Amino acid sequence: MVKDLWDLFIAFTRASNLGFGGGPAVVPLIQAEAVDKYKWMNNEEYADALAISNALPGPIATKMAAYVGYRVAGWPGAFSALLGTIGPMVLVVVLLGNLIMTYSQSPALQAMLQAVRPVVVVLIAHTAYEMGRKSFPDLSTWLIALVTVGIIVLTSLHPAFIIVASMLLGYAVWGKKRSK
Amino acid sequence: MLSQLWDLFIAFTRASNLGFGGGPAVIPLIQVEAVDKYHWITNEQFADALAVCNALPAPIAPKLGAYIGYLVAGWPGVLAALLGTIGPTFVAVIVLTNVLMKYSNSPGLKGALKGVRPVVVVLVAQTAVEMGFTSFPNLITWGIGAVTAVSLLWLKIHPAILIVLSMVFGLIVFY
Repeated sequence: MVKDLWDLFIAFTRASNLGFGGGPAVVPLIQAEAVDKYKWMNNEEYADALAISNALPGPIATKMAAYVGYRVAGWPGAFSALLGTIGPMVLVVVLLGNLIMTYSQSPALQAMLQAVRPVVVVLIAHTAYEMGRKSFPDLSTWLIALVTVGIIVLTSLHPAFIIVASMLLGYAVWGKKRSK
Repeated sequence: MLSQLWDLFIAFTRASNLGFGGGPAVIPLIQVEAVDKYHWITNEQFADALAVCNALPAPIAPKLGAYIGYLVAGWPGVLAALLGTIGPTFVAVIVLTNVLMKYSNSPGLKGALKGVRPVVVVLVAQTAVEMGFTSFPNLITWGIGAVTAVSLLWLKIHPAILIVLSMVFGLIVFY
């Protein structure tokens, strides 16, 4: 139990505090920890976590911490993961805020951020790919994806509605008996 | 003091929990509360705070909450702002996770999850595309992207190592 809490804290400290670009940049890093390294869950279950998180408002990384932490070790696990996610940077912002303000526009930092951005984009695309390998078992799931792309491109409908609608659809179509 | 803590809690609860789409969607809402409504800081101070938060890793909204909360009311202010920012959704996620774990074998939930997974894949891919528009200004950044893809797919290198290496590389090449 104590080891689980420590692992959660370390995993989320590492994931969150290397995520340059806010919450979305943290998503692939949490996946690397929770799925690949600690094997707390598989890629499909990670996709379920993202479904819950995207259906709710607020910052995404702390919601992922709640889901993963709670699954692994209940409430203490959720708090441990949350502490790793926001603890270090909350301290840095409060204690070193003024110092960082001086350096936030420095060419050295901008150079590092320019180089890390393409990495973050590829990491996020890779997460989509990893989850996608198991999320399209048949033609109808491809159809759902296609409709989702259409809605995102053509309308400004909020993703939470698409998430809820697709769950209702899935429940109605596959929810009876023959789902496997 | 107490009324300030309450204001911080309410302001960040409102900003964070009306902002669908993660941290970036929350930023303008925090600005409305902190600058326009409560006059805790000026627009220039907000821009500075945002610059600090953007230069650091980890989710943006909790960092902004900590920064503004500390300015207004010290460490208790930090706690009040953080509680508003992440408290409600933190509890909501755990309630939903409980439901998910409890009914994980029900055909109904399995069907619902089968329906939602393709949507999640598309949403994550969309994030990559949107961030991609501004992240590849020159050929070197494309090179970084290609090397990252190869490292992930075939060499199975941990993303943390790739991030640190890319920042060192950026310091050498772009600085």
